[in-house]
Parts: sequence; C-alpha cells; structure tokens
Amino acid sequence: MSSFLKILLKNVLGGPSTDPFPFGPTFEPKRLRGRVVVDPDKCMGCGMCRNSCVAGAIDITKDAESKGWTITVWQDSCCLCASCRTYCPMKAIEIVPDWHSAHFEEDKYSRIEQHTIEYQPCAVCGKPVRVLSLAKAQELYRNDPDVDPELVRHMCRSCRQIKDAEAHVEILEAIPRKAPKQDAAAPEAEAKA
Amino acid sequence: MRLDIDTCLKKASVCSPWLFRINAGSCNGCDVELATTALIPRYDVERLGCHYTGSPRQADIVLVTGPVTIKMRDYVLRVWNEIPEPKVTVAVGICPISGGVFRDSYAIAGPLSRLVPVDVNVPGCPPRPQAIMEGVVLAKQIWMKKLGILEG
Ligand code: SF4
Ligand code: SF4
Ligand code: SF4
Repeated sequence: MSSFLKILLKNVLGGPSTDPFPFGPTFEPKRLRGRVVVDPDKCMGCGMCRNSCVAGAIDITKDAESKGWTITVWQDSCCLCASCRTYCPMKAIEIVPDWHSAHFEEDKYSRIEQHTIEYQPCAVCGKPVRVLSLAKAQELYRNDPDVDPELVRHMCRSCRQIKDAEAHVEILEAIPRKAPKQDAAAPEAEAKA
Repeated sequence: MRLDIDTCLKKASVCSPWLFRINAGSCNGCDVELATTALIPRYDVERLGCHYTGSPRQADIVLVTGPVTIKMRDYVLRVWNEIPEPKVTVAVGICPISGGVFRDSYAIAGPLSRLVPVDVNVPGCPPRPQAIMEGVVLAKQIWMKKLGILEG
C-alpha cells in the first residue's frame, strides 16, 4: 500500500510525461539514425556501399564520357542499417540524426542524397584522376615528412609510384639483387659441357 | 443564407479525423511503432484530435504498413475501398513507399502507390513515433484541403 502511495505521489508531483511534440520540442538521441549523408570530398566511387546495401538504395552511375560518376542514395528506400557506413573504406558515409522524414507524395523521388564527382587531371601526367581528400592524404603520408600531401593527392597512381621510387632510390639500390635465373643456369651448363 | 448541413458537419468534424491501420504484410516493426504513437500516453496522438478506430467505415486517415504482399493485396484493396471518401492514405515505413528491403521479391505486389493513391509518406525502418506524428499532421492538412476547409 505504501509503495502504491509513493508512486501516486511521484506521479502527482512529477507533472506530465507526455512528449510535447508536435506542439513543442522533443528529445533527440545523439546516435539516432535519421538520414544517410555522403561526403563528396571523400568518396572514391569504389561501389562497396552499393554492394553492401540490403535495400538497394544506393546507385552509382558512371558518366558517359568518363568524366566522373554520380552517387545517389534514395532515402525512401534506405532502411538505415548503416552497413554502407561500416563498409565504406573512405569513411565517406555518415548517418545524421535528422529524423524529420514525413513528406507529401510529390516529394517522394526528390528526397535523395546525390553528388556528382568529377575526375581532375593528374598534376604530373594530366591523365584524369580522382583527387584524394586532403585529410586522407595526410593520414596516409603522416610518417613521410618529405611528401607534400597537397601535391600527392592530385597525382595518378603510376605517377605516385614513380615519385615514390625516385625518393627511395638509394634504398632500392642497396638491396642485394639475385641474379636472374637464366644467367645463373648458363655458366653451369657451360661448365658441364 | 441556407444552412448547409454538409458544411456544418464538415466544420464540426474538422478537429477529429479518425485513424485506421492496415497491416499489408509488415514485419511488425512499423506496427509496434504505430501502436506506441497512437496508444500510449507518452506520444498521445489524441492531442491532435485523432482517434483510433477499429472499423474502416469510420476512418478518415488510413495508415498502411508493410510492402503489400500478393496474399494481402486483395484484402488491402477491399478494406481500403470500404473507407469513405474523402480519405487520406499514409504510407508508414519504407516498405509501402518503395518496397524497401523486400523490393523485387516474388511475393510482393507493392509498392502501395502502384495500387492506390498515396498522399503522405513517412520513411524509416521503422520511423520513430515523432516522425509518424509529423505524418499524421501532414495527413490532417491534406484531409482539411480535401474537405475544402483549408485553402491551398
Ligand atoms: S561512399 Fe564509400 S563505399 Fe560508397 S563508393 Fe564512395 S568510397 Fe566507396
Ligand atoms: S543505411 Fe543500409 S539501407 Fe541505407 S543506404 Fe546504407 S546500406 Fe543501404
Ligand atoms: S519498413 Fe522496416 S520496420 Fe516497417 S514493416 Fe518494413 S521492414 Fe518492417
């Protein structure tokens, strides 16, 4: 009986516990999954998110002239499972807590997250290349003070390899090299003969 | 001026659209979310003047959950047709909107907009109760427009 009275007193003094929404503000958990957002600076167009999407909400279309690609996330198909966020190697996908999702039927196909990402010419050879985000370049080359991340992120893969080899030419030459197999076999054959 | 009984009824009923719920093969996630929105005092939908009804003949706003499976299609259409005009159809969850995770399945006749005209969509899997409340608010706006009370 006394416990019942305690609850009664608590409820009388506590005031209403009804969520004031939609007449007032509501609470919003910090990690609430509301909407998928793609960062166009980080996305490399690898297609991992599309492959892992259970709801088929992601589309990646290549430009007809190979100038870039368009990544689209259809919010009306996304089940907010976050597997794209988990598997994106570039951490380009984020889920923000914006939960105001109700909309009229006319807006059904316009509620999309879409970015067109274009290739840019390589800083050395001019070949079209996807520019790496600055943060990623800095992360990758953090132990390499000689490398300028701003330059290296604008270079294509072959040019990066060549530049890397040039920078380490002493180390590469110091590695003892095995003689090619054919040359090694030839003197033996001569000796036998 | 002739007192039009229709206008009087419309004006009197404008505060209280009644809600009806159809489960068109939902996984129950959205139904649980709907039940919490409509039934528990925490998110009290009755503050909007809405009342949950068990009969389609009394309903004004119909909330549909689930991707409309082939088995459910005829039942959904039958119940939907029993709701008197003007009615507002709300698709709750990504399933009735686009098919969601079940899209392109052999067992699916939806999405809902292929079968009946939809007015409001509330995506989410499931949407949070506050989002469903927002959807009900939008549905009420449409309902008032359909009755000719609200301009637009
Ligand atoms: S968002 Fe991430 S996973 Fe998707 S294409 Fe871009 S880099 Fe790849
Ligand atoms: S959260 Fe899940 S359903 Fe949504 S886009 Fe990412 S993988 Fe697809
Ligand atoms: S939208 Fe998600 S929670 Fe709702 S019925 Fe479909 S699968 Fe279930």
